Amino acid sequence: MRYIATIGKHQYLIEIVDEHNILVDGVTYRVDFESISEQPVYSLLLDGQSFESYVYPDEDYWQVLLRGVLYPALIEDEREKRLRSSARSSISEREEYHMKAPMPGLVVSLPVMEGQAVAKGDVLVILESMKMQNELKSPRAGTVARMRVKAGDSVELKQTLLSVI
Amino acid sequence: MFNKVLIANRGEIAVRIIRACRELGMQTVAVYSEADRQALHIRYADEAYLLGPAPSRESYLRGDKIIDIARKSGAKAIHPGYGFLAERADFAQACLDAKLAFIGPKPSSIAAMGDKAVARAMVARAGVPVVLGTEGEGSLRDEELLGMASQIGFPLLIKATAGGGGKGMREVHNLEAMPALLLSARREAESSFGDGNVYLEKLLEGVRHIEIQILADTHGNVIHLGERECSIQRRHQKLLEESPSPFVGEDEELRQNIGHVAVRAARAVGYVNAGTIEFLVDKDKNYYFLEMNTRLQVEHTVTEMVTGVDIVKEQIRIARGRQLRYTQDNVHQNGWAIECRINAEDPYYNFMPSTGMISNILLPTGPGVRVDTGVYPGFEIFPYYDSLISKLIVWGEVRAEAIMRMRRALEEYKIVGVRTNIPFHQNLMDSTRFLAGQYDTRFVEERFSMESAEEGKDTLPQIAAILATLVAHQQTQRAAHIIQRNERDTSNWKWISRWERMQR
Repeated sequence: MRYIATIGKHQYLIEIVDEHNILVDGVTYRVDFESISEQPVYSLLLDGQSFESYVYPDEDYWQVLLRGVLYPALIEDEREKRLRSSARSSISEREEYHMKAPMPGLVVSLPVMEGQAVAKGDVLVILESMKMQNELKSPRAGTVARMRVKAGDSVELKQTLLSVI
Repeated sequence: MFNKVLIANRGEIAVRIIRACRELGMQTVAVYSEADRQALHIRYADEAYLLGPAPSRESYLRGDKIIDIARKSGAKAIHPGYGFLAERADFAQACLDAKLAFIGPKPSSIAAMGDKAVARAMVARAGVPVVLGTEGEGSLRDEELLGMASQIGFPLLIKATAGGGGKGMREVHNLEAMPALLLSARREAESSFGDGNVYLEKLLEGVRHIEIQILADTHGNVIHLGERECSIQRRHQKLLEESPSPFVGEDEELRQNIGHVAVRAARAVGYVNAGTIEFLVDKDKNYYFLEMNTRLQVEHTVTEMVTGVDIVKEQIRIARGRQLRYTQDNVHQNGWAIECRINAEDPYYNFMPSTGMISNILLPTGPGVRVDTGVYPGFEIFPYYDSLISKLIVWGEVRAEAIMRMRRALEEYKIVGVRTNIPFHQNLMDSTRFLAGQYDTRFVEERFSMESAEEGKDTLPQIAAILATLVAHQQTQRAAHIIQRNERDTSNWKWISRWERMQR
């Protein structure tokens, strides 16, 4: 099985030969790879060098936390990569923005009204979580629409709060 | 004299206090909210009683219920920990009225020091230098504060009168921005402390936050346990503390001077039990009283590591009317200690709080390592309480050894299921300014970013690519395997949906 791993600007062509051998950009490595007690913490022995890492999925990426550095990695097989490059048409800059709760919490107040014009950086929602009040700001100018929450509501992670159109 | 202590708190500090009680052979009573039924402090205590629903207002802030539980359980003393009711003079008074020992200072000291404005006026009278501000003016209205702002000068700080922990605190750089900031500061203060009063203080720049641990008994003995350096902060929340302070360093005269001033400030309010006097120290080594925390501090651990004094046990002894077991002459700083606060916050996403189930923890162990925590695998982090989940403390003979040890311990520490700020601490341990001890209270916000810290590092992107590929591959294989197996009975779709549910 062949994969293309993308980290930042670098791409690595990684081929899984069998359980103990991989090819990275044409170079063979001997690997021994295990998850620690069924957890997303992995031990990798690569030609005898020992690495331990916490790897977890995050939307389209794998986040690899290794020796105090976080590497967001995009892993695709060849078919997925072809699909993605053909689908990469330009996304409209004027797309609607749907503000989602970055954490579960309590809506303290909404300093805006439905239909109100807002500028980039205006506070749209004040959300309290873990005893801190967090101001959620608009990433672009537009009009506030479809307010789905009110002050006093408890919201879940990633719940849509309102839109800016 | 009491032999059973009720701990009116949760999390790591409740566990810390229970441990001290157990080592003193005392019985312990825990209290908990509905969200905390499975918390560690419940499991370690001899008895535990439900307070109410998850929000603090209906549970850990219910002083009346807590006193009721103390009465019913036969606990004759209450330890408030930090936060919640720890600095509420009315609660301390209610304990005394109910014939319960309050393990902390007298209600009058809490009231005097708790009103930050009154506290500043009191210590100033005792000859302790204070930062310019609106001290001794009582509660002021917005118009009055706006009027005084220009006398103090910008930049300045709006601070909650009942405050602490950076809550209700705002930086102001000009008069125009001030009304909006006053509003949000009052709002946060009101929700955190039930008191929306604020005061103003000149914002000193390029300063360090250095604090002195005080112990005072009921026989008039007051000593200090040396200093803690707490300048590594973000949004006025401490993230890392060390003792001694690398800034005070070899300057024994400065250390003793600040210590004596702190003792004098404590005496000025007739202070009893453990407390902390916070100072701002500028680059010319001028120091100013900032505030007094009339409680056990989160970072008391670093002082314990270098002095060998168990501060929590000492608090309990003092509350039992005993004399201090130490005089100033037999308190010495031995070696170096560093504490990293491990918060459930994502350092790669603007330090946003992270909640959810902790699925696994791999704890750092070995020489010179201490972990104070209230969580374990299977425990859920809720958004109701603050984000501190654990404190990692190391001791070394010298600062360099402590830093190397902290690096090693952070690398060993794995918390799975919620995001934590462990990577932040790892980057901090590698930063040259931290290594050189050259940092002030603005360092993290102004001179430190995760991106630039990781940019200059020797990175291992190829190893990360291999790891991610192997994990992705393993998952694809497993999914394919599960779907193949169904050939005999159920439909593929059923398997896929089962597999998807497993992945949630």
